[in-house]
Amino acid sequence: MFDPALREALANVQKPGRYTGGEPGCVYKDKEKVDLRFAFCFPDTYEVGMSFLGEKILYEILNQKENWWCERVFMPWLDMKAEMERLHIPLYALESKDPLTAFDIVGFTLQYELSYTTILAMLDLGGIPFYAKERDETWPLIVAGGPCVCNAEPLADFFDMMMLGEGEEQLPQVCAVVEQAKKEGVDKQELLRRLSRIPGCYVPSFYEVSYQPDGRIQAITPREGAPAVVHKAIIKDMNRQALPTHFIVPMIGAIHDRAQVEVLRGCVRGCRFCQAGFLYRPMRERGAEMLDKAAQDLCANTGYEEVSLHSLSTSDHSQLEQVLDRMNEWMPKEHVSISLPSLRIDNFSESLIEKTTKIRKSGLTFAPEAGTQRLRDVINKNITWEEIEKTCSMAFRDGYTSVKLYFMMGLPTETMEDIEGIAETAQKIVDLYYANPDKPKGKSVQVTISVACFVPKPHTPFQFVPQDTEESLKEKQQHLLHSVRSRKIRVNYHDSSTSFLEAVFAKGDRRLAPVMVAAYRKGCYLDSWSDCFHYDRWMETFREFGIDTAFYANRFIGLDEITPWSHLDYGVSHEFLVREYKKALEAKTTQPCNRQCSGCGANLLLGGPCFEYSKDLVQ
Amino acid sequence: MNTVRIWFSKKGEASYISLLDLQRVMGRAIKRSGVPAWYTQGFNPHIYMTFACPLPLGQESLVESVDFKTEEEHPDFEAWAKALRGVMPTGIEVNRLCSATRKAEEIAWSRYTITYPAKTAGDAARRYNALPQALVEKKSKRGVKTLDLKEYIPRIEVHEEAEGDCFELLLPAGVSFTVNPALLTGFLEKEYGLEPWNARILRTELLTGKMEKFE
Repeated sequence: MFDPALREALANVQKPGRYTGGEPGCVYKDKEKVDLRFAFCFPDTYEVGMSFLGEKILYEILNQKENWWCERVFMPWLDMKAEMERLHIPLYALESKDPLTAFDIVGFTLQYELSYTTILAMLDLGGIPFYAKERDETWPLIVAGGPCVCNAEPLADFFDMMMLGEGEEQLPQVCAVVEQAKKEGVDKQELLRRLSRIPGCYVPSFYEVSYQPDGRIQAITPREGAPAVVHKAIIKDMNRQALPTHFIVPMIGAIHDRAQVEVLRGCVRGCRFCQAGFLYRPMRERGAEMLDKAAQDLCANTGYEEVSLHSLSTSDHSQLEQVLDRMNEWMPKEHVSISLPSLRIDNFSESLIEKTTKIRKSGLTFAPEAGTQRLRDVINKNITWEEIEKTCSMAFRDGYTSVKLYFMMGLPTETMEDIEGIAETAQKIVDLYYANPDKPKGKSVQVTISVACFVPKPHTPFQFVPQDTEESLKEKQQHLLHSVRSRKIRVNYHDSSTSFLEAVFAKGDRRLAPVMVAAYRKGCYLDSWSDCFHYDRWMETFREFGIDTAFYANRFIGLDEITPWSHLDYGVSHEFLVREYKKALEAKTTQPCNRQCSGCGANLLLGGPCFEYSKDLVQ
Repeated sequence: MNTVRIWFSKKGEASYISLLDLQRVMGRAIKRSGVPAWYTQGFNPHIYMTFACPLPLGQESLVESVDFKTEEEHPDFEAWAKALRGVMPTGIEVNRLCSATRKAEEIAWSRYTITYPAKTAGDAARRYNALPQALVEKKSKRGVKTLDLKEYIPRIEVHEEAEGDCFELLLPAGVSFTVNPALLTGFLEKEYGLEPWNARILRTELLTGKMEKFE
């Protein structure tokens, strides 16, 4: 049984199951017999963190090493945080219940910018000093991975090391170096020097950043023999990288509580707003046989009855139909159903619907992203109204009655006409439903449009553009509401203030570190939860530090300017981003990678062409 | 069709699994074990499960049960129990399997062992035993009712064990009426300051109206 303080805390909180561990699939080891302990920290609640595929992948890989033990840590919800503080329970890992300070490495995954202060909250609950320079080798090594590492400069002063790119090979290398250093008893500086030689490992303290009088960056200078540019780590052949087949199965549920099979990594599409599309280049698939076997093993080991074929764009898999055919052979008798979360509206076929809805039929979700063809061309979302029409008609004929559409507002070159286009697109889909003679009697259609505020992100062609101002976004939201005239259309839109903060951090630099600490002290953490988001406190803190948020979010970045992320390389060249940006302004599209190479530079990561262009891979 | 009853303990980490979550946890565990459970035939097929007398969150038990159905004519309980043991979360131990002959509705009483840290409960027990009545509020779906604990627990007999101060309770636990042992630990907190999270509540036996062991 747990110690009395923890039992007391658990007696006073909602959903104590978030804090107990012990789920089927979680790994217990004898801590006296392991040489390296890794705390995998997800800076959000249990239910969010347990949905994250990356953690499942790395948990399984690290724990395969007999003498390493990887455990999980999540951010406790407000009630538990208060109890832990009251009862002096330091933040602990779910498996051993040991505090963060008992670990050799404490690793955070950076999935989105609004989780940054939650990292501070977790360090604080763990009794660990925020700033890397305040921690010598007696403290755990504090590291980070995940997509936001592509510009986590606002956090650079807190982390000893950050890992760019894919972790399957890189993280075990890091652990091996730390294990060796521990044996040798080397000091922290030497350990960091050794780590900086691993592909994709970035030691922020080895880089000096100087600024111009106007606030822009003057130079980023490496020292201690660190490379001038850090190149991301990559798995060259996904067919040689085993999939995780032993998920921990949460007992209290999770946002995505199902088996996830990663069918491909990267994306061929090159949508200009999409950071993931550039960070994970080039696209690499796994073969049908491997995927089918992994899905089967995963269901057998977890008891899950839903498999999601996971990726940035699942319908771009060249053998998707074969994968589904194989899976459909065993799934019905195992009572397993399949879901395809990331479909493209332009290659969604009748047989795809048929193969995925043998057991259950839910709503249809697509992301046109922009309301007019012109704007869709600007952002390189290469889909047409004809394709939307074809897909929706097909879905309605098949009995679907609800469609959800994702859009963004505040995109570069956007006008009010484009906003009206969002409402018109939704209206045309409603009309389409009623034009179908076989529509189910007495059932009406529901079209939901969900509109996010565009946040320009580093390493994309839109990294240069300013974010639309809050006033403008609010005006556009109102205009959209007025443009919708049917009750069959529901409009959801995001609060622009969270998107604004996201933009500041996304393109932020090291000068934001003290602001973050001060905001955290004022109670800003779990910022992505609306009941925990305190915009006023944030703005007050920025003012106190004399920080002009518009400098980060609403300023045009020169095409030749040194950015906070200039020394971080994801394989896509700066020249390519500039080229794509200029094409965007002319509303010119770029072909998907598998159809025609646009020379982004990411092929160099593989050492050869990304695709065999003689084969037609696109249906 | 046979109905099979799994008898299991629910302790430690597992005592924080709510009934709703336990249904999902058990469904997946049965599926992982490969035991041929019967699925409902509707639009959303699932393993049909019944839990007899579910336990409140945070309490522990040696005698939890869940029933499922199978089309297997001659179930091999030993082999199935072995398969199930390999797939349970920490804190759930499969004790045995049997045919579900008695209906869950027959359960009328439940026996508990309450354990407080050593030398903490004696004084409170003496004072409780001296009371003429011990009124508590019992919340149910039909509203709040005042109940005299003395009617169900006239005396607390503390004996000092290695684990601490223990005592046994026998309380109504059935479909129509249940007295949660937490009512007593709550009362002992309110009156004598005994911290309820220090009380380990362990269910040890389920009995029928005729005081026969429910199996």
